Amino acid sequence: MNNKNIKTVASVPKGSKKSVWAKVNRYKGFYLMFMPVLIFALIFNYLPMFGIVFSVTNYNGIKTPDFVAFENFKRMFFEMPKFWTSFQNTIVISVVKLILTTFFAVVVSLFLNEIINIHFKKVVQTIIYLPHFLSWVVTASLFTLILAPNGYGLVNSFLVQIGVIDANDMIYFLGTSKWWRITYYVINIWKETGWQTVIFMATLAGMNSELYEAASIDGANRWGKMRFITFPALANTILTVLILNLAKVMNLFESVFVLQNDAVLDVSNVLETYIYYQSFNSGAIPNFGYSTAVGVFKSIVGCVLVLICNHWSKKVREGRGIV
Amino acid sequence: MNNSRKKITVFSVINGLVFIIISLIILVPLWKILVDSFDLRTAYGMKMWPEEFGLDGYKHIFSNVTLYRPLLISVLTTISGTILALILTTMGAYVLIQWDMPGRTLFANLLLFTMIFNGGMIPTYLVLNGLHLTDTLWVVILYPALNVYNLVLMRNFFEGIPSSLFEAATLDGCSPMQTFIRVVLPMSKAALASIGLMFAVSYWNDYTHYRLYIRNSDLYNFQMKLRGMIMGSELPTVSGNATENTLKNAAVIVVIVPFMILYPCLQKYFVKGVNVGAVKE
Repeated sequence: MNNKNIKTVASVPKGSKKSVWAKVNRYKGFYLMFMPVLIFALIFNYLPMFGIVFSVTNYNGIKTPDFVAFENFKRMFFEMPKFWTSFQNTIVISVVKLILTTFFAVVVSLFLNEIINIHFKKVVQTIIYLPHFLSWVVTASLFTLILAPNGYGLVNSFLVQIGVIDANDMIYFLGTSKWWRITYYVINIWKETGWQTVIFMATLAGMNSELYEAASIDGANRWGKMRFITFPALANTILTVLILNLAKVMNLFESVFVLQNDAVLDVSNVLETYIYYQSFNSGAIPNFGYSTAVGVFKSIVGCVLVLICNHWSKKVREGRGIV
Repeated sequence: MNNSRKKITVFSVINGLVFIIISLIILVPLWKILVDSFDLRTAYGMKMWPEEFGLDGYKHIFSNVTLYRPLLISVLTTISGTILALILTTMGAYVLIQWDMPGRTLFANLLLFTMIFNGGMIPTYLVLNGLHLTDTLWVVILYPALNVYNLVLMRNFFEGIPSSLFEAATLDGCSPMQTFIRVVLPMSKAALASIGLMFAVSYWNDYTHYRLYIRNSDLYNFQMKLRGMIMGSELPTVSGNATENTLKNAAVIVVIVPFMILYPCLQKYFVKGVNVGAVKE
């Protein structure tokens, strides 16, 4: 919190007494107002943190849990190759997705910035922001229909039409391990690139136009200006976006969950979906102890990432952290 | 001079064309779904216009009574959730700008810590289950209502309100709650619109919380229902003159159309919300 310059804005008179209790009393209306927020945070955020103790038990939701020490962690690290696959998938999918969408967003922003006709620009922006607001269920439905490996599917029909593939040999984009990740990245680029340009466009809008004029006088052409003025101006924002999102790489769930199926789990299972299938979909009695242990691992890695990114952010953003 | 002018024009034309193509890439999947939802002939391949136009797909969707309940649940949870979330967000943010208040830093850190660490999917499920919130609509309304990121955004908006206004309200004898209602809220209409819309979209689009905490299919929202229709075998293979494929396409359109109609008018509020976040985190 970086607001030393803002004076007190308490809407109660400033008493002459300096004792803490007088001050507390003065603010009692505010404490009352904060109660609902506090209660929500305690119930929905802090209570589950205590649930972590299940990770050292064999709790299955039915019988009283026994203490099993670090048995679950041992199993996770040494007996469950799928855990390591999921961990690896989480990192790879998140990071590649982040790099791709950021790259495309920067390129699109640079060229969007060059559009002179303001009405055309507005229309383009309205269109490219749109997919961000579609739910992942709708997005998955849309692409399931369009990528269908039969005559209904637009993409396969197109590929047959231009002669890239044979009509009897259509590609099951979301159902084969070879194609799943690339399809996932393309869908993410389609959905999120436009919205990511908002933050870059905001940076560009705040830029000093004198720089461009000076560059023009010095004989810089359009490419020179883009390369030496616009892009460097974006560098700090790009770094910020990467850091902010890097802190969230462990949270991957819904987008993967709605696009995956049993046939592609080897390349698509991430930690959160792994935990989900271990707990709810295996048919057997769930081992909440084990899945809690995996969750603890996930939370700790996520926490370390946030702290690293926070530290990094403070360095590159004049002391501003991300939390 | 003439030469450089010409260059700019060529660049502008190419740039414009590139953006027309980008816009088409965004719109074609949506357009294809719309076309296929009206096409009674099994919507084959690359057609960008219905071959045999008909409304049978929509007739099936709207005559299917099982769809009204999910729609009602989506509307109900979105409205109540957004209102609750805005109350929590604005009140929390208002308390967090009381820089002189004892314990303010503690409160702020208590909230910020939840952004760094969480109990995880299963402990959260077990706690909500233990509180008998699972399999009720309470869980999908209450659980997402406190969003610390949005609360910080709201606090950033509030910081822009001149402190003289608070002082004036106090001199007029307003209590903190009165000041909040009479000064803070009316001054932050834009913020309420931006952040309220963000909440509304996330409630409307919510799938994860339903998937995790709701087992009773009577309590499914529109997203859950759509998922069932696309992936499962809930739809008949033929209804009237419409095939299953037409029905699936019509179902997707029915889910997105309400938002598509509102979106062009609301877009600027969404952008405003992000920009405040970008200026100050």
